Parts: sequence; C-alpha cells; structure tokens
Amino acid sequence: MLQQAIALIIILFFIFRLASQKNRKEINRSEFTLWLIFWIIAATAIIFIRRIDQLLQFLGFSLSGINFLIYLAVLVIFYLVFRLRLNLAKLDRNLTELTRQITLKDNHKP
Amino acid sequence: MKITCVIPAWNEARNIAKVVSGVRPYVQETIVVDDASQDETAALAGTAGAIVLRHPINRGQGAALQTGNDYALAHGADIIIHFDGDDQFLAAEIKDMAAPITDGRADIVFGSRFLGKKSNLPLTKRYLIYPLAQLFTRFLLGIRLSDPQNGFRALSRRAAETIRIDNREMAHNSEIQSKAYRSGLRIEEVPITVVYHDFGQRLSGGFKIAKDLLIHKIIK
Repeated sequence: MLQQAIALIIILFFIFRLASQKNRKEINRSEFTLWLIFWIIAATAIIFIRRIDQLLQFLGFSLSGINFLIYLAVLVIFYLVFRLRLNLAKLDRNLTELTRQITLKDNHKP
Repeated sequence: MKITCVIPAWNEARNIAKVVSGVRPYVQETIVVDDASQDETAALAGTAGAIVLRHPINRGQGAALQTGNDYALAHGADIIIHFDGDDQFLAAEIKDMAAPITDGRADIVFGSRFLGKKSNLPLTKRYLIYPLAQLFTRFLLGIRLSDPQNGFRALSRRAAETIRIDNREMAHNSEIQSKAYRSGLRIEEVPITVVYHDFGQRLSGGFKIAKDLLIHKIIK
C-alpha cells in the first residue's frame, strides 16, 4: 500500500512537470497528450496492481503484477531507444544533405 | 571523354599536394572534397591545381564522395574516378581503371588488391579482417567481389547517376558495391596496387561498418 502511494506521488510529480512544460510551451499539445496518457496508464496499473496479479494468474503466468509491469517497462524503453536511434540516423542524413547543398552552393558563387 | 577524379580528404596536408599532382596528368578535372580539415589540406590542394569543395563540418568519406559526384555530374563528367587522398593508390593505374568504361565493357569498375598485383597488405588484414568482410558482404549483401573495401573505383556517368551514396562514413564501399549489383550495372574488377603507410581500417571499424549498413537498411 505504501509503495503504491509513493509510486502515485512520483507519477503525480511527473504529471505536474509535464503540465508546467506545456505552460512554458516547451512541448507541443500532441507530445503533452502522449505523455499524459502514458502516466495515466502507469497510475491505473499501479492502482489496480492486484487485479493485474489476478489476471496473470488466470492466464497461467507465475510472475506477479509488479514484475510484469517492470518487464513491460523495459520492453517499452528498448523500443523507445530504437526509435530514437532511427530518428537520430534520419537527422544525421539530413545534416549531411544540408552540408552538401551549402558546399555546392558556395562553390557556385561568382 | 571527360574523366574527373574525386578525392575526399580530411587532414591530409602531408599527402594531398603529392596526390593531386600525381593524378592530374591522367584526368581532365581533379576535385578535392575537403571534409572540414583543421590543417592546410584545402589550400595545398588548391595550389596543386585541384578544384576544392569544402564541407563546413566533418561528415565522413562517403558524404564527401557524394558531394564530389554531384559536382562532377553537374560539370559534365563522363567518368568519375574515386581516389584516396592518403597516397595509397598509384595514379598511373587510373587509365587501367577507366579502360573498361571507355571500351564500353563496364558501367562501374572496382579496384582489387587480390587479383595479382602485389600490395604490402598487413597480415591481420589479409587473413582476418578482409576474409570476414568478404563473408559479410557475400552472404548479407550478395556481393561477389574479391575486394570488399577498396576506395579506388571508376564510375560511368550512368553509374554515378544511379548510385546515391547514403552511408556518410566508411560503409559506403559496401553500399556502392551492393547498389551496383542491385541496379544491374555492368561490373568489372581491375587489379590495383595499394601502398600501405599505416594500418588504416581496424577490426572495430569493420564492426562499425556492419552496424551502419544495417541501420541504413532499416531507415530506408
């Protein structure tokens, strides 16, 4: 119970941070919505952790709900890192193209 | 036929003037793409008679080659020779590289260290790094060439228009070979000599090349 309360306080802290970032216009609306949904799902999973335990037992898994959430979180992090890596590679390619255009344009100056 | 030589160079002040002077008698135009060197590479290349294109930031050898290709194509090149700026290749062999294209037998010509001519190849490279690279390129990219990592090549105008180099660093060698195969270009290999002044690409560099090729396959 205490651990659930601590986890919810931490999530609340991140939601407040998210709201202040949105107010300061550091993130756009879609990014705000995406992260808000993420934290709401996390909070819901923590509130109904016993239900997740029961569901996992019903499905025949021996792991507990909290372990399941941790494994899921690791998978999500791996996926996000992969996406980030691909985005960086695309940015890198664009930077190369920009460098090339500047180089070729400079050379065509009279 | 207008033959243009593209030399990518990064901090090659020690060799670039000698390389440009060596190459110029064999080609109509010499382009040095200075990849944001911190030394006198650009000035020395210009003094030696090359057209110098300067990247404002360092982007890697593959990126420099594509910049050179774009410039050469825009200025009417019929054959583009890729030549390293570190004085490892012999300029006199440019005519051997261009011959299959001028004779109409090939669209793209790759130089090879393993077809008869003697190169002072370090043993680790000969017996470990290149066999591994050959296995990788043969089975994953379907390339059946004797030299998987050779920067000395000749491209017809058609080949240079067909192949766009996306890998900005050293993976461009395998990328060019792979795209040449997939585009159905007529490919020929020509024996060349490589004079090693230092070890060059290491095994760790080989792993980086493999990683870059895989990432570019995914983000395509």
